[in-house]
Amino acid sequence: MRRATLLRSALLAVGWLALLAPAATAQPGPKLDISITPVTTTFPLSDPDTVPIVTAAPVQITYRIRQNDGPWTLTVLANGDLLAGPSNVDISKVTWVATPAPPFQNGVLSKTVAQRLASGTGNVNPARQGQVTFRLANSWDYTAGLYTQTIVFTLTAP
Amino acid sequence: MSFAASTILTCSLLVAALAIAVPADAQTATSTFSANLGGIAKLSLSSNTLSFPDADPDTVPLVPAAGGAITIIAKARASLAATVTLTVVAADDLRSGVDTIPASALTWMASGAGFVNGTVSRTAPQVVASWTGSGIRTGTQSYRFQNSWSYRTGTYSVSLLYTLVSP
Repeated sequence: MRRATLLRSALLAVGWLALLAPAATAQPGPKLDISITPVTTTFPLSDPDTVPIVTAAPVQITYRIRQNDGPWTLTVLANGDLLAGPSNVDISKVTWVATPAPPFQNGVLSKTVAQRLASGTGNVNPARQGQVTFRLANSWDYTAGLYTQTIVFTLTAP
Repeated sequence: MSFAASTILTCSLLVAALAIAVPADAQTATSTFSANLGGIAKLSLSSNTLSFPDADPDTVPLVPAAGGAITIIAKARASLAATVTLTVVAADDLRSGVDTIPASALTWMASGAGFVNGTVSRTAPQVVASWTGSGIRTGTQSYRFQNSWSYRTGTYSVSLLYTLVSP
């Protein structure tokens, strides 16, 4: 008797899930698109005295948000510090200047917490573009090397 | 509440939780950073000339340079655990026409971390300072000239070449 009740309850729950699935299809979530160019950002060799802040070529971000009636956020997160073999440069030495503001904002890169790069509400359609210029604080204290790291841009519409 | 009713309620809550926990829509793009922080070195001296005034060899056997010590600022970006070295070498002996005084008549006293005392040579670069790794080092060199009655009179000069190596 008890087993039968449990089975009946489980079937009922599965049935509800089945009912929810078509409902989700009927109300599709936001459609998001993002692309960046160039995909490689290069900081050239510079004298820290004459170039205390090394500026890379601007990164063009193209984004489009459809079927969205809520807020959206574009964040950026580094996968780690700048690395050259065993040597590292803290990723917080990299800052950015972004336009247009709003929706874009300036910031400092982090390897632990995604940093907001842009935000807004509703749709962005047709696609729009923003420009992000990354800057590296130069220093004589860095160990010589060719440093690399990847960063991830994430566009979300909760 | 019966067992069946409570089970159904539990299942309902579970379904509701599943519906709420649906992840937000997200799109990502990845970029690669490349930073060329290659080895570079930069050296500056507080003065590009040294002069030693005429003096009685008996009372001033070591003539200090007029103007005092030279301040040296050495900046280097070096490889990991690499030794950065600052050397000095004379282009020739001290010369006044055909008369010469050995470059080794010039000695210096140093101050600053990594800086060492030394004697000028015209054949082999002499270490002025050395240290490990990148950074900025500041030190001083107080030059002195070995005075002697045996020198021929004249105004002697020589060029000193400083070299900062950052491997």
